[in-house]
Amino acid sequence: MTIYLRSGGKLRDQLKPDVDEYTRRVEVDGDLTLKEILTTLGIPLAFVAFAFTDGMLRRLDYKPSDGETITLQPPVSGG
Amino acid sequence: MPGWGQKGQERLAGARVFLAGVGGLGCAAGVYLATAGVGRMDVCDADAVERSNLNRQFLYTPRDVGRPKAELARDRLAALNPSIEVSALVTEIDHATAPELIAGADIVLDCLDNLETRFALNRACIAARVPMVYAAAADWTGYLSFLKPPETPCLECFVTRTPPPVEPAIPGCTPGTLGALQAMEALKYLTGIGNVFAGKLLVMDGAEPRFDVVAVDRDPSCAACSKLKAK
Ligand SMILES: [Zn+2]
Repeated sequence: MTIYLRSGGKLRDQLKPDVDEYTRRVEVDGDLTLKEILTTLGIPLAFVAFAFTDGMLRRLDYKPSDGETITLQPPVSGG
Repeated sequence: MPGWGQKGQERLAGARVFLAGVGGLGCAAGVYLATAGVGRMDVCDADAVERSNLNRQFLYTPRDVGRPKAELARDRLAALNPSIEVSALVTEIDHATAPELIAGADIVLDCLDNLETRFALNRACIAARVPMVYAAAADWTGYLSFLKPPETPCLECFVTRTPPPVEPAIPGCTPGTLGALQAMEALKYLTGIGNVFAGKLLVMDGAEPRFDVVAVDRDPSCAACSKLKAK
């Protein structure tokens, strides 16, 4: 199945968008968690603070469905 | 303004806000709280002004480099509104000091610059049952949420990762925006006007630009707040 990973901030350097400036299209074998997908893509989990879709924050055990877009945000702690 | 009036102003005059950090977030939040007439503000920061702060920490000038931020912020916020009381606390916030520092506050603003201190403040706010307005910022990115468990998640319910060791540069407008929103959350909570970001996380990506508001649930296994039962 196909999912789309949108990335914010510095995470774009890691995610290497290809659909547009922010989004990467990813083919996955199905039934994988976000954590497994990110690991397969070689994106260190420490670089992902938040993941959300459909207006809900998701944990990394979330399993995206076909065609879904997940937004990933980097950790930020400055003030 | 609907709902504010004399009563709202009196509520603010009788309120006490703990401002944890007077960097980029705290300078902006502090100015809007002081000028709104929050009666008492406790301004806490152990750091001294550095030249690299000056692009975003607009309560300070080049002549202030090396001087304690909390004392400078106290003087400048009090000058903006002489009818309020501002105290300076030049001290570190940690698990040992946080409970005493926030005692008596009606609301706490997390204007800090690192996760470890945020978690200490979060624990103290949970123990004291005081709401905390979380915000964090770097480059063009910012996050904000109103935390008051058990009605909402606490910080540890949804912020668990360790940031990369190097934070990107930060233009002043990013923490300025988030700090202003923190003040807005505090003013709404203190006056009872409108709705706060309870159970919601604001995600600002100023570069794209894009603002998302996403629902955030409590973590039933949260080490910090799971023992608190919802009313
Ligand atoms: Zn929690």
